[in-house]
Amino acid sequence: MIRYLAALVGLMLVTGPSWAHEVRPAYLELTQTAPDTFQAVWKVPGRGDTRLALSPVFPEQCVRATETRSLRTPGAVVDRWTLKCDGGLEGELRIAGLQMTLTDVMIRVVWASGDTQTALLQSTSPSVEVGKGDQSSTPLLGYLRLGVEHILLGIDHLLFVLGLLLIVKDRWVLFKTITSFTVAHSITLGIATLGYASAPLAPLNAAIALSILFLGPEIVRSWRGQTSFTIRHPWVVAFAFGLLHGFGFASGLTTLGLPAVEIPAALLLFNIGVEIGQIGFVLLVLALERSFHVLEVHWPRWAEVTPGYVVGSLGAYWTIQRTVMLFTGLS
Amino acid sequence: MSSSNPQSERPAAVGMTTFAAVILRTFLLAALWLAVTPATAHAHLVNTGFGPFYDGISHLFLSLDDLLAVLAMALLAGLGGSHHGRLTLFALAAAWLGAGLLGLEVARIEVSWPMASALSFLLVGLLVAINRDLPYLAVAALAITVGLLHGYLNGTAMSQIDGGTLALVGIAAAVFTIVALVAAFVTSLRAAWARVGVRVAGSWIAAIGLLMLGWAARSVG
Repeated sequence: MIRYLAALVGLMLVTGPSWAHEVRPAYLELTQTAPDTFQAVWKVPGRGDTRLALSPVFPEQCVRATETRSLRTPGAVVDRWTLKCDGGLEGELRIAGLQMTLTDVMIRVVWASGDTQTALLQSTSPSVEVGKGDQSSTPLLGYLRLGVEHILLGIDHLLFVLGLLLIVKDRWVLFKTITSFTVAHSITLGIATLGYASAPLAPLNAAIALSILFLGPEIVRSWRGQTSFTIRHPWVVAFAFGLLHGFGFASGLTTLGLPAVEIPAALLLFNIGVEIGQIGFVLLVLALERSFHVLEVHWPRWAEVTPGYVVGSLGAYWTIQRTVMLFTGLS
Repeated sequence: MSSSNPQSERPAAVGMTTFAAVILRTFLLAALWLAVTPATAHAHLVNTGFGPFYDGISHLFLSLDDLLAVLAMALLAGLGGSHHGRLTLFALAAAWLGAGLLGLEVARIEVSWPMASALSFLLVGLLVAINRDLPYLAVAALAITVGLLHGYLNGTAMSQIDGGTLALVGIAAAVFTIVALVAAFVTSLRAAWARVGVRVAGSWIAAIGLLMLGWAARSVG
């Protein structure tokens, strides 16, 4: 039953190419250096020569006073310029193009007084009123929401969790496996966010795809009643690959270029958000499995074997695609 | 979580062979897939193209008339038992998707039939409220009718956006999930008061349907 669910999910996924971190947020920071002058840092997800078509639109009295200096970093493009605002920065700050994406944009204005104003813009709310009289506290719950969104919209992370669910035989092993995955990705998420280690995005994405490919044959073996190290000890595999996925989760935070003072709270809340999303997904799958049992749905044989092939095929597809892109990017 | 089967005693060597075959097949399938898929990777950048799929899911949850129709059908199916629930699960989702694709294909503008839409969940809500013991074929026919109506309307709406097909798949997946969860929950209810609660929910849905029907009639008049 659960296999059919996986097949459905998988089939939905095959309708288009997928990337690991389509919801990596953009980040705009404005630091006041004089009453009417601000240093702007605009970090937008990108790869190679391509970047998301997002651009900040400032209040009318603001103009760019210097040329934009662009720096390409792995997975992002960082633009810097000086902004002059006659009469100060006050009015509507909008992100053009945001409505067409799933991306969030974190806005942070640092005033000369040391006060900060932050906001999380989304496709449904692409603008915010900025001004010295409207200094709000850091939207800590915004990081929580980012974490939930990052995993729920990160198809490959969900597919890996689904693959684990298909292999696991009972609830106790499921608990151990999910806990292992959680502990592992929390470790690397913390390490990467705190800046102690990092993983280059392109090979990381290929490796995450490989982890999904790895599960495909194991699911088929499990269904055939065969055994393997993964089937006997799924929590070990979940831990090992969880370390990789943690670096992937970290991209959702590190892309922001968080100010040091906000990192601990942001890391904690983002991680909690990821866990909430992950537990919600697991519970949904288990509830659906239970529902199929109550409704006495008997799946045909082909439906039962399909998920293993779907997970494996998607993993293989993404592995090939991302490996090709890795070398294309290098060239 | 996984089901066992009689092939569990096949020799290890055969197991390794099939393991390799699985790997080979998945790679071949993926390679073929990669070959036939246009090189849209760079164009998509970090946007996977799954936006429409999520749009479809959100569309269902944000469209009150669609959501109430699905909930009403799930409640009705659940009151009828597992057989009714099973039938509704597949009939409603399949009809919704099929009609949606049809609407997507033939429509040039978004079609809106608010009276028919409201009438659909008003009737199903009433059937839930009176707890009429319907034959399963009648429930299936009702599910197909509701699915065709709402699916077609969704299809015409999705024809206005890019990625309408993927959005419809998202809607159908959400319909399937809601019906499975709600119908199974109602089926598992044994206490009389709980089933009365389900009927009360049906009456609320019918009341909302009546209200929306009135609004629609007034705007037409």
